[in-house]
Amino acid sequence: MVTATAQTLQLEQHENGYFCSRFHAMASPCELLIETADEQLARHLGRLARDEALRIEHKFSRYRKDNIIYQINHSHGKAVAVEDETAGLLDYAKFCYELSEGMFDITSGVLGKAWRFDGRTAVPDEATIRQLLNYVGWDKLRWIHPHLTLREGMQIDLGGIGKEYAVDRVADLMQQQTDCSVLINFGGDLVCTKARQSGQGWQVGIEQPVYDQTGQQPAANTLIEITQGGLATSGDARRHINRDGKRYGHILNPKSGWPVSDAPCSVTVAAASCTEAGILATLAMLRGEEAEAFLDAQAVPYWVVR
Amino acid sequence: MKMISLMLLLSFVLGGCSNMGVQPWQRGHLAKQKMQLDAYPVDAFLDDHIYFSKESSSGGAGVGGGGCGCN
Amino acid sequence: MQLKKPKPIRRLLTAATSTLLASTAQQVVAVEKTPWQVDSAFLYYSEKDRVTVYEPVVAVRKETGDDEFIGVRLVLDSMTGASPNGAIPTDSPQTFTAPSGASSYSIPAGETPLDTSFHDTRAAISAEWEVPLDERLKAVFGGNFSKEYDYTSLGLDATFSWDLNQRNTTLTTGLSVSQDQINPVGGVPTGLTSVPTVVGVQKSTQGGDESKDIMGLLLGVTQVVGPKTLLQFNYTFADEQGYLTDPYKLLSVLDNSGQLRASDPYVYEKRPDSRQRQALYAKGMHQFGDDVLHASYRYYWDDWGVTSHTYDLRYRYELAGGRHYLQPHLRYYLQDKADFYHYSLDDNNIPAYASADYRLGDMSTTTIGLKYGLVLGESHEFGARLESMQQKAEGDAPFEDNTAVIFQLNYSFLF
Repeated sequence: MVTATAQTLQLEQHENGYFCSRFHAMASPCELLIETADEQLARHLGRLARDEALRIEHKFSRYRKDNIIYQINHSHGKAVAVEDETAGLLDYAKFCYELSEGMFDITSGVLGKAWRFDGRTAVPDEATIRQLLNYVGWDKLRWIHPHLTLREGMQIDLGGIGKEYAVDRVADLMQQQTDCSVLINFGGDLVCTKARQSGQGWQVGIEQPVYDQTGQQPAANTLIEITQGGLATSGDARRHINRDGKRYGHILNPKSGWPVSDAPCSVTVAAASCTEAGILATLAMLRGEEAEAFLDAQAVPYWVVR
Repeated sequence: MKMISLMLLLSFVLGGCSNMGVQPWQRGHLAKQKMQLDAYPVDAFLDDHIYFSKESSSGGAGVGGGGCGCN
Repeated sequence: MQLKKPKPIRRLLTAATSTLLASTAQQVVAVEKTPWQVDSAFLYYSEKDRVTVYEPVVAVRKETGDDEFIGVRLVLDSMTGASPNGAIPTDSPQTFTAPSGASSYSIPAGETPLDTSFHDTRAAISAEWEVPLDERLKAVFGGNFSKEYDYTSLGLDATFSWDLNQRNTTLTTGLSVSQDQINPVGGVPTGLTSVPTVVGVQKSTQGGDESKDIMGLLLGVTQVVGPKTLLQFNYTFADEQGYLTDPYKLLSVLDNSGQLRASDPYVYEKRPDSRQRQALYAKGMHQFGDDVLHASYRYYWDDWGVTSHTYDLRYRYELAGGRHYLQPHLRYYLQDKADFYHYSLDDNNIPAYASADYRLGDMSTTTIGLKYGLVLGESHEFGARLESMQQKAEGDAPFEDNTAVIFQLNYSFLF
C-alpha cells in the first residue's frame, strides 16, 4: 500500500454526502471532512489544509534548524526580533501564563531533560530538578514586542498549543474558501466550522483508554456530536512512569518541576475554538485532582478520564 | 439502418434518463481516474493519431483535434 | 499548591483566543499553489518494412480558478521509412520518380512499391481552456496548430457540457473548424495525369499549394447508470471541402492483357473535393470489484462510400497491493471500401475519381495489446504499453498486410 507521507493527499467519498481528505502532519494523522459532493473542491480544500498544517509545523517545530524557534532557542541571551504570527502566539502564551497563575508556561520544556517518559521507571533526583528550574519561568524572559530575549539556557516550546492553533488556522482558511461545513481533525484535536446542512453535527468518537496498575484496559469510545466549535484533548495515557505504586503523569508543574499529582489520565474539552479547548484541557490537567472543579467553573462540556 | 440506430439511441436516452443514476454521495467510484471517460488521455490521443493515419474513419469520441498530412 | 476555588476564566480566555486567531489572520495569505499536472509519453510505432515513427508528447494542465483549467500539449512526430505509393507489384522491376522530380527509385519485381524517399517531422501544439459558465454548464475552448514541411493545420474548437438529473445525465455539444494547407514537394499534381518515370520530365501540376476546410460537430449524452456504471452515446458529423487527395499517391494503369500499359503506366490519384462523414458511437464502462471494463463500438459512414465498424475492449485488472495494474486491449476494425477505390485501373476505363490507397479499401485492422501501469501517488503514474497491429485486405484487392508494433511509455506527475 502507498504509505501516506506528508506530501500525499488521500481523498475518499462517503455516503451521507461528504469527502474525507487525509494527510500526515504534526506527527498525527490529519483528516478533513468536507460536506460537499464536489470532488474538485474537496481536493482543493484538502491541499490548502495540508499546506497550512505543514507551514505551521515547519515554522514552530522544535526539531528543525531553519525556523524561528531554533533561532530563539539558540540566541544565547540575545534579543530576537519576531514577526506578527510568532508575536501573537507569544502574547497568547503570556496571557495564559498569567491567567493560570504561572502553571501554563511555555518555558517549562527544559524539564524534559530530567523527565524521560519513555517507559523506564527512572525518576530524577531533586538536585537535578532544582538545577533545571533555574531555566524555567516566563518571568525570567523579556518579551517586549517585537523582541524576545531568553536567558542563556532557556528554551521555549510551542508544542502545547501548536496543533490546536493549526486546527483553528485551517478552519479560518476553510471559512474563507467555502460555505460548506468542514470538520478539521488533527489527531484528535478538532474544530467544526459550522453545522451541516441537515442541522446535525459531525459524529466524532473519543478514544478513552483507561489504565490501572495491572495494565491498560481500553474503554469504549464515547461518541459525541459536534455542530460547531473546537475540541481538544490533553492526556498522558501513554506517557507516564510508574514508581513505588505511584503514577507520575507527563504534565509537569513548572513551579516544582514535578509532575502534577493526581492528574487525570486525559481531559477532553469542547469550546469555541480548538486552541481555547486545548488551553482549558491543559489548565484542567495542571489542576490535578481539581480538574473537574475547574472545568465546572468554566461551564464547558468536558470528559475526564482518571 | 442509420435512422433506426438514431431513433433507438434517442428513445433510450429520453425514456430512461430521469430515473437512472446515483445520489451525490454514491459517486465515489465514478470519481476515480480509471472510471473517467478519458481515463487515459495520452493513450487515446496517440491511438487516435495512429488510426486516423492508417484507416479511413474518424470521429465518434470527440470533435476537433489537429490535422496532418498522413491521410 | 493552594486549593483555591477556581475562577471562571473562560470569558477572558475566549476573548484572548479570538484576538490570537484574528490578529494572525493577515499573516496567512491563502496562496493557491495549485500544481501543474504533467503527462509525458513516448511512442514508438514501427511497421514491418515500412514506416517507423518516434513520437514524444508532453501535456501540462493546471487549475487556474474554481473548476477552471488551462492545458497545453506539445507533440513531435518524427517519421522515417517507406509507404506504399499505390502502384501494384508486377513481374518486372518498376521505376518511379520521387515527388520532387529530382530523383527516382526502383522496386524489384514482385514487391509492393514503397516510396522510399519519404521522411517527415511534424510538430504540433494545442491549448485548451476549461471554464464553468454556470453551475451545471461547462465549456472547453481549444486551439491547435501543427506544421510539417509540406502540411500546416490550424484549428479551433468549443465543447459545451450540460449536467442534468443531479449530474447523472450530461448533454454535450461540440463544434470545430480547421483549415489545412498542403504544399506538396514538387507541386500539386493534377489528378489522373501521368506520373513521370524518368527524371527530367515534369509532372503536370495545378499550382504550388492547396487547402482544405473542415467543420466538425458533436452531439452526445453521457448517463450514469449505477454507482459503477457509465454509458456514453455520441453522434459526430464532419464536412471537408477542398483538396482531399493524397498528392504523393498514384495508381497503376493496366492494358487489356493485364500488364502495365506501355506509355503512362501510372497516374496520380484523384479524390472528390468534398466529403461528409458521420459516426455513431457508444461506450460503456463498468467496474467489477476494483477492475474496470471499457467497451466501445463505433459505426461510421461517409459519402465516399466508406463504412466501418470499430470494436474496442479494455479490461483494467488491478494487481495485488492496489498500486499497479495490467490492462489487456483488443480492437477490431472492419472497413468497406470507398466507391472510387481501385486496386489498379483499366486503360479503357479511367473514372472521374480513383485511389489505390489501401487505407480506402476493404480492410480490417486487428490490434492486441497489454498495458502495465504503476500508481506511485496522487496523479503520479508510470505506464508501459505494448501492442501489435495487423491490417489485412478483406475484399478482392490483394494488397499486402501491414503489421506494426506499438510501444508506449508514459509518466505523469505533479509539478
